[in-house]
Amino acid sequence: MSSSSALCSATFVDPGYDHLVELVHQRDRVGHRRLESLELELYEPGGASLGRTAVDTRQDTLDLAALVAARAPGVARVMVTFDARYDSRVFPYRPHHYAYLKLRDSPDPPLYYAVNATLGGVPDRIEAATRQNNFETYIFLSRPAGERYGLRLGNLARFSSVEAQVITYHGEARAVLPVTLAPHEHADVQLPLEREGARLRRVELKTLFRLASYVTGRRADSGGLVLFDHLFTYFK
Amino acid sequence: MLGALRSAARRLLGVTRTSTYYLPWIARPGLRCVLILNNVESRFTSARAGGPFPAAVVQYDARGTVVARYDAKVPTATEPLELPLDAVAEGHGFVTVDTARLQSDLYVTLGDDDAYTATHGRHEFVETYPAWTRAVHAALGAVAGLAGLTLPAFVRHQYVYVGAQDRSHVLLLNLSNVTNRIRTTAVADGATTARRLDAIAPRGAALLDVASLAPAGSAARVLHLRFTGNAWFNLYLVGAGPNDLAGPLSLMHVK
Repeated sequence: MSSSSALCSATFVDPGYDHLVELVHQRDRVGHRRLESLELELYEPGGASLGRTAVDTRQDTLDLAALVAARAPGVARVMVTFDARYDSRVFPYRPHHYAYLKLRDSPDPPLYYAVNATLGGVPDRIEAATRQNNFETYIFLSRPAGERYGLRLGNLARFSSVEAQVITYHGEARAVLPVTLAPHEHADVQLPLEREGARLRRVELKTLFRLASYVTGRRADSGGLVLFDHLFTYFK
Repeated sequence: MLGALRSAARRLLGVTRTSTYYLPWIARPGLRCVLILNNVESRFTSARAGGPFPAAVVQYDARGTVVARYDAKVPTATEPLELPLDAVAEGHGFVTVDTARLQSDLYVTLGDDDAYTATHGRHEFVETYPAWTRAVHAALGAVAGLAGLTLPAFVRHQYVYVGAQDRSHVLLLNLSNVTNRIRTTAVADGATTARRLDAIAPRGAALLDVASLAPAGSAARVLHLRFTGNAWFNLYLVGAGPNDLAGPLSLMHVK
């Protein structure tokens, strides 16, 4: 039996962005030695695989934008899974991939984010990772007028579809939006900025099992990402 | 093993750790820095009752001076409070939030009338050193500083990015009551490109310009930074676009 421990993370790639992924966040020599292997798989929005590739774990960072452009040219949104295998001595530290994201030729600042750790990670060896992680929330600032919000969701399951609920709160108004995703299907769910005259203040995501999930904020005029963040689990 | 050694050293030095929730802040002309304080994650616990929830906020600047105190109150478990940090027109540092009655992660936003970026704070601790330990730190730190070194109590690694149109600066936060001499070593493509030593005041902060760590004309896109400090510290990345610190900025957490 292999003594390696798996962690599957996922992110999404849009054309037009610089997108650099750190194979080992906060690299030190020990941290790098404990990443044994890393394989990436690309999926188009409908869930079909666009190919799988092994990554040299000795690299510091991976140019994800270049890799996707070469392997999936013309695809508007690609979900990329990171199937990482670690020497189990890495625990109880929870390994992450972090990423740098910047829309080219844009006046907006770059974003930096933790690639969504979705499956595995040997939960009983990671402090506090046995929490329920499929019921999450995020709060929005009430003021800016030129930003549009959404959720980016991806189903990492190989065989099971999932029916998720995206719940928005505009003041007292609560609305439920069902989202069904087939295996490896992914979606951009737009969140209405206003409802019954009230601004969007909060969103919740409920699913039967954990999805790859990000909150997005885009400039209304250019569509450029200014917010790309994880949600927060209710139960810590 | 290392953890046990650290605990023993802290006991020997009389260091106490106080559980603290903190977030970074940056103030610049044209940029609004607003905290979102909330208690929404208490919705499914008994802690949801009894609002409004007090959440005292203390704002420290780069010199570690308290520049503002806010007696904030989160109205209910489902109604957040937006708290503008407008006490100073320009500066940076961190705020602490008394989260005794809050069970949620808190957000800090940077933006203007059109859009904002956001990240969250950290529930960690601040370290308090007794007077004699502070004196020892000051004496040994000054001697080590003459050689460009520091007492290597804590080490962190972080990648930063530099390009013609974008870069990520580093906001270093001194989470202790001693002067923290933080040594930074920058490596690109296997070669050391810069070393520097910053003395950060107790409870203070320093905004490290990444351009100062990359050689002029370098094609390096990614720098690997190694920070060594004599007391507890943490960091956030500050994303900057073509107008650098004069333009819109983002704050980005690290693990």
